[in-house]
Amino acid sequence: MASRPLNDDEVLSEMNKMVAFIKQEALEKAREIKVKADEEFAIEKAKLVKQEQQAIDAQYEKKRKGAEVAQKIAQSTLTNKSRLKLLQQREEHLQDLFSTARESIDALAKDEGRYVQFLEGVIVQGFLSLLEPDVTVHAREKDVDKVQRAVEGAARQYNEISGLTVNATVQGTLSNDIAGGVKLVSGTERITLDNTLDERLRLLEDRMLPEIRADLFGPNPNRKFYT
Amino acid sequence: MSVLSVLRLKDARSEAAKEIEEYKKSKEAEFKAFEASHTGNTQAVQASIDKETAAKQQEIRAQYEANKDKVVKKLLDRVVLVKPELHRNLNKVEA
Repeated sequence: MASRPLNDDEVLSEMNKMVAFIKQEALEKAREIKVKADEEFAIEKAKLVKQEQQAIDAQYEKKRKGAEVAQKIAQSTLTNKSRLKLLQQREEHLQDLFSTARESIDALAKDEGRYVQFLEGVIVQGFLSLLEPDVTVHAREKDVDKVQRAVEGAARQYNEISGLTVNATVQGTLSNDIAGGVKLVSGTERITLDNTLDERLRLLEDRMLPEIRADLFGPNPNRKFYT
Repeated sequence: MSVLSVLRLKDARSEAAKEIEEYKKSKEAEFKAFEASHTGNTQAVQASIDKETAAKQQEIRAQYEANKDKVVKKLLDRVVLVKPELHRNLNKVEA
């Protein structure tokens, strides 16, 4: 710097230089600020977008999972329905079979020789179950004679097998509509033993179910244990 | 201290919202495509199950028809089959 005071031109020039310098500084500072602002703008925007994107992703993931589960459920329901249909069909066939059998038992009482033999056997079985000294044998009205004959033989057999005696009376109290057979009632009228053809068939239907199913539809492929 | 003016912040938010909207649209389209393929699959599965069921029903019916007479006969035979026996805990009373 000159030690002597500046003249007007020099002052002007110095001032211009200062102005220019300040201007330059200001411009640079302004640019800095702008860049920073743009950066922050970009960061803020990116932050917002990312946030929302994550939320949307989570939403759609849930939707997708829900749809998958629903599909699995639908599939399972279909297979189950199919299985039930098949089981129902088997049940219908069984019922059909039983009703056919029920219609046919009337024929069993027709063959007189065999029927009397059957009656005798069934009455002895009744005696041996009741183990009573006095028994009333109820039969169909039209069977009374046959049952009378059967009872005599049955009482003898009973004595042979068990050593006990029985006092049996025959009554034609059963209706003629049933298929046949007898009912035995103990002397004190406390115990009844139903040995009619209908009842025997009913019991058989129930007890033979596993065997019937295996005969009709083949053995169960899923079964692992047979005693 | 944020250099961002309030105005600029509003701009940032509105631009972001636009991008977000586009992203959502694309995700929605993706999902719809997934669903469409799923319905197609369900129908195919249903058709195949129905076919299988019908075939099995045929089989069951055939088995029944083939075996029912035999089983009815078995039932009727056992109705008249009787074996009178003394209870296993008893002994014959000797006179």
